[in-house]
Amino acid sequence: MPNKVFFNFLFLLIFRHRSKHIAIFIISTLVVILFSSVMLLSHAIEQDAQASLSAQPDFIIQKMHAGRAVETPVEWLDELSEIEGVSSALPRVYGSYFYTPNAEYFTLVGIDLFDRQISESLERLVKDLDVKDFLAQPSMIIGSGVKTHLDKFYYKEHYTFRTPAREKREVSIYDSLLSETNIVSSDMILMEESLARDILGVDEELSTDLVLYVPNELEHDNVKEKIILLFNNIRVIEKEELSTAYAQMFNYKGGLFLLLYMVVLMTFILILYQRYSMISSSDKKEIGILRALGWSVNMVIRLKIMESLIVGLSAFVLGILLAYGYVFYLDAPLLSEIFLGNANLSNKITFNHSVDFGLLTLLFLFFMAPYISAVLIPVWRIAITDPLEAMK
Amino acid sequence: MIKIEHLNKIFNENRSNAYVALKDINLHIKPAQTVVIKGVSGSGKSTLLSIIATLIKPSSGSLMVDEQMIAKLPDTHASHFRNVHIGFIFQAFNLFDELSVKDNVAMPLIVSENRQERIDKKVLEAMELANITHKKDQSVHNLSGGEKQRCAIARALVHNPHIILCDEPTANLDRENSLKFIEILKSFKALGKTVVIATHDPLFDNLESVDRTILIEDGKIR
Repeated sequence: MPNKVFFNFLFLLIFRHRSKHIAIFIISTLVVILFSSVMLLSHAIEQDAQASLSAQPDFIIQKMHAGRAVETPVEWLDELSEIEGVSSALPRVYGSYFYTPNAEYFTLVGIDLFDRQISESLERLVKDLDVKDFLAQPSMIIGSGVKTHLDKFYYKEHYTFRTPAREKREVSIYDSLLSETNIVSSDMILMEESLARDILGVDEELSTDLVLYVPNELEHDNVKEKIILLFNNIRVIEKEELSTAYAQMFNYKGGLFLLLYMVVLMTFILILYQRYSMISSSDKKEIGILRALGWSVNMVIRLKIMESLIVGLSAFVLGILLAYGYVFYLDAPLLSEIFLGNANLSNKITFNHSVDFGLLTLLFLFFMAPYISAVLIPVWRIAITDPLEAMK
Repeated sequence: MIKIEHLNKIFNENRSNAYVALKDINLHIKPAQTVVIKGVSGSGKSTLLSIIATLIKPSSGSLMVDEQMIAKLPDTHASHFRNVHIGFIFQAFNLFDELSVKDNVAMPLIVSENRQERIDKKVLEAMELANITHKKDQSVHNLSGGEKQRCAIARALVHNPHIILCDEPTANLDRENSLKFIEILKSFKALGKTVVIATHDPLFDNLESVDRTILIEDGKIR
C-alpha cells in the first residue's frame, strides 16, 4: 500500500494534528530522556567500576578495634604470605588528605613500585609509565577530579603537602590516571609508599590495610577461611564482594529510578490514551472519507498507527540522543551525584561512551510497547466510526 | 445490475431509540441507467445510497450488485468492493483541503495501486474527464465550489468504477455549476456508468439524461 501519495497523506495528517502530536512528542521525549539517562548512566558506571576493580587485589585485610578499622600491623604479612595459594601479600598505605584551597578530601594511596603486580596494575592505569623516572623525585599520579582541583589553583607541575607535624613535602605531578578508571580513581592520588606514610603519618610497622593476591579463584574460599582463623578482630574483604557492593549500590539506585519511571510511564500512557481518545469532528470526517473511498478498518488503523509511530519514534530517537548527550557530554549533572554520592570529592566524572544494542533494544521495548498499546485502542475506536455519520 | 429486495434499515435496533430509516425497499437498477432518488431531508435516500455503497449494512433484505450479494459483506471485502465498484460524490465534496487536486484524486488508488506511474496516469485521465487538469497542483482550499465539485468527480472516476453514487451533488453549487454538473452526468452515461443520485433539487426533474426518478417518503418507495 505505501506509495508517494500515501506518505504525502501521512505527513499531512501529522501536520493537521500537530497540536496533539507536539504535546505527545514533548511528553514522550521527556519520558525517554528520563529512562534512558538512568539506563545509560548505570551502564556507564558499571563499565567504569569493572575497569577500576580489575586492578584491585583479591583480598583486603583490615584490623578492627571496637567495630572500626584501625591501622594493621605489617608483621602479619609473614603469616599471611605462608597461606597456600597466596602469590603475594603486601601492605597498603592510604588515607584522606584535606585539600585546603577547595576544602575537599583527596584519597592518597601509597604504592610499592618494586612489586611486580603493583607496577603491572599501575601500567594499566597510567599510559607510558617509567618507574625510574617516577622514583627519581617525589612524584604522584593523580585522578581526573584531583587534576581539575589542582589546575584550578595553578598547581600544574607540583603540589606541596603538609605532614601531620606541619612539615612541607613538595611532590611533583607525574601524570594523571586514564579516564576508563574514573569512578574509583577520580579523587585518588598515587605516590611512593614511604612518601605516603610521611604525608599521612603512618608508622613503618603499620599499614592502612593488607592485601593478598590469590590467582586461583577456586582457592578464594579456602584462603578466606584460613585468614579468619589466623587473627582475631579482622575484616576480610574479597574483590568479588567489592564488585557486588558496587553493583548492588548502582542497581539499587537504578531500581529506584526504574520504579519512578514506571510511575511516570503509567501517567504517560494515561495521557496518551486520553489524548488519542479525543475524537474531533475533523478526525471523524477524515476517517469517514477514507472509508467511503474504499479504505478498510485495518488500513485506517495501519495509517493511524504509522502516524503515531512516526511521532513516537522521533521522540524516542531524540530522547536517546539527548540522554546520550546529557550522560556522555554533560557528564549527567544531578543524576551522577545521586548515583555516586559517596566519593570524597564532589567528583567531576567523565563517563566513557558505551552503548550496547541490548540496552537500546530494552529502552525501545520499554517505551514503544506501552506507547503502541496506548494508541491502538483509541485508534481502533476512531476507525470503526460510522462513515456516514462521520461525514455529516 | 443493482437488485434490492425487501430491504429494511433500522438504526439503534432493539433499543428504546430505535428508528426505522428504510422500509421494504425493492428496487432494480439496470447497468448504465441513471436513476434519481428524490425525497425530502430525512426521507431515507442517503441511507439507501450508503447501503448500496456498503458503508452501512441493512437490517434485513438483500442487495445484489452484478449477481454478487453485498449486503452483509465483512469489512475487508466491503471496502474492496467499494474501492473497485463504487465512485462516491458527496454533497460537501469531502475533499482534503490541504492536499493538492491531484493528491485528492489519487486517494482511492492508494489502496489498490502500488506503482506510482500507474497512479499518475489514472489521475491524469480522471482529471481530464472532469476538466480540472489545469488546477492539478493547487490546494483544494484555493478552489471555487464548482472546481471542488469537479475535483470530487475526478476522484469518483479515477478507479474506473461502474457505479457512481451522488448524494445531493448540487446542494452546495450555484445554478451555473449545477447545470455544468448535469452536463457531466451525460458524460457518465456515455461512459456506461450506472448512476444513482439522491437529491431534492428540482433541476433534476424531467431531465433527458435521467432514466428513472424514484420518490422516497418516510423510508418507503412511492
